[in-house]
Amino acid sequence: MKRRSVATLVPLAAILAASSMGAWLVREPLGRLDPTRAWSPPSWTRPFGCGEAGIDLTSVVLSAERRAIALAVAVALSGLLIGTPLGAAAAFARGRFERLVARACDLVQAFPTFILALAVLSAVPHPSRLHIGIVFALTAWVPFARLALAQTRVLREASFVHAAVALGCGRTALLVRHVVPNLLSIASVQLGSSGAAVVVSEAALAFVGFGPRDGVSLGGVLDQGVASMIRAPHVLAVGAFGVFATSAAMLVAGKWFEGTR
Amino acid sequence: MPMRAAGDLARAWGVGRLLVARAVESLTVVVALASLVFVALRWLPGDPARLVLGDEASAADLARVRSILHLDEPLWAQYARFLRGLATLDLGDSYRRPGTLAMARVLGALVPTAELAMVAVGLGAVCGIAAAIAASGPWLGPRARSSIENVLVGMAAAPLLAFAPVATWALAVRARVVPLPGDPDAGATGLLFAASLLAIPLAAHVGRIARVALADVAKQSFLTVAVAKGARPIRVWCVHALPTVAGPIATVVAAQLGALLGGAVVLERLFERWGLGMLIIEAYSTRDLPVLEGAVVASGLLFVAAQALGTAVHLAVDPRARADR
Repeated sequence: MKRRSVATLVPLAAILAASSMGAWLVREPLGRLDPTRAWSPPSWTRPFGCGEAGIDLTSVVLSAERRAIALAVAVALSGLLIGTPLGAAAAFARGRFERLVARACDLVQAFPTFILALAVLSAVPHPSRLHIGIVFALTAWVPFARLALAQTRVLREASFVHAAVALGCGRTALLVRHVVPNLLSIASVQLGSSGAAVVVSEAALAFVGFGPRDGVSLGGVLDQGVASMIRAPHVLAVGAFGVFATSAAMLVAGKWFEGTR
Repeated sequence: MPMRAAGDLARAWGVGRLLVARAVESLTVVVALASLVFVALRWLPGDPARLVLGDEASAADLARVRSILHLDEPLWAQYARFLRGLATLDLGDSYRRPGTLAMARVLGALVPTAELAMVAVGLGAVCGIAAAIAASGPWLGPRARSSIENVLVGMAAAPLLAFAPVATWALAVRARVVPLPGDPDAGATGLLFAASLLAIPLAAHVGRIARVALADVAKQSFLTVAVAKGARPIRVWCVHALPTVAGPIATVVAAQLGALLGGAVVLERLFERWGLGMLIIEAYSTRDLPVLEGAVVASGLLFVAAQALGTAVHLAVDPRARADR
């Protein structure tokens, strides 16, 4: 059995700490505009420099990272909570229901979910983070259900399951009390990569103009950076680094759960 | 021989049944997506008639435009009209550009997106397979092989959204070897550059899966026989080993297609290339419902067609896949 290593949580904790520290250090309202300092490069007082209309990128990026992490954690947990019981129930039901869930997983996983997100979000005049979270949750259950399905196919033949059945345990109680707890350690390993995917997708949506209403998003910073690529390359670098660091921190933090196996 | 002919017939029947089942499944997916889009767009706040005529329009004019656009009909009648439109590939005129068929605009945007996706799949598959063969064959030492594997893992984990703009800045602004984003004269170089960025994650996934699959095949005796018969390593790996792993490669390409189409939208926005993604964004901001519906359904169709192509390639390359059915 591997030991959990706290070191895997360090990058995520560092981003969250920097994010709270930054809000305290900057001491000005988030998103304050000051055209005199537009596109100014990084300095000691403003480590990430300024963007369009003089918006301070340090506070924007740090807040965007914190909000992206909150969204990613919520969506990944919802995927775990929906997908794991669904996959386990499907593997126990066998037959048609099992095939249906397995096929649905294949389809949704290969489906252009980004296009689906664009289509669903286009029905909302100003998408908020809640809307974006719901759209991602529509597909976030799939990897968890797939893992639970595969693992339950093994577990359903295990002797403790047969023992529980022989003792008169009902199907629901068997799933909830015996099978799902056994799946959680494997399914939770997926949390990190699901969270990282949400961070990137949220930024991608904001990049193409479907971001949250408040405009505080890593994708929004990248969009500014692309538009000002020649004049102010630091904006692009800051946006790209923000997306990379946040998604990588989520991936690495997910490794923490591997220690529980 | 009659036995053999009967076997062939049964096999052909099996393949045919599989293709029909896949086609029915794909059509179900497209119709489900279309219905979802239809319902989602009817929730859209903002009256398209008012958007067409502007805020100053009179009530009579608005009513007239609504009846021209069939917005005054009950929802089920609009849905029936929409499904009929899909079946006949005629969703009516674009709201924004009266006189232009919505489907014509969609087809105009479908071509560049399909081009980008095709070139990316081609590049990604070739590079990924080449990396996997290089890491499996006898040409490289153990250190070089494991570094290829590490590079593939890193490439698969790097988000396209973060490195594509940075690579563009480095190559277009600093080194000036590729055209700048938004350059209307970018042409083939622009397409190739955008596609190669899109191909990087795909190549990484293909490379990793092909590497694992080839490692399984490497232990099998038919390769030893091929070596004993004097085949050169390149022939052993490309002609004998590669077709046997076509299944996993086709599966991973199909599984990456959704991500690829999403990535295509991001790259279209990055390079200001015209395509389905840009059309969806434009149609959204102008509430051009027929174009928006058509564009989303077309991207679904593109996806379904590419999946079918993947299955067909697998069946053509690997005789076991035909025999299993």
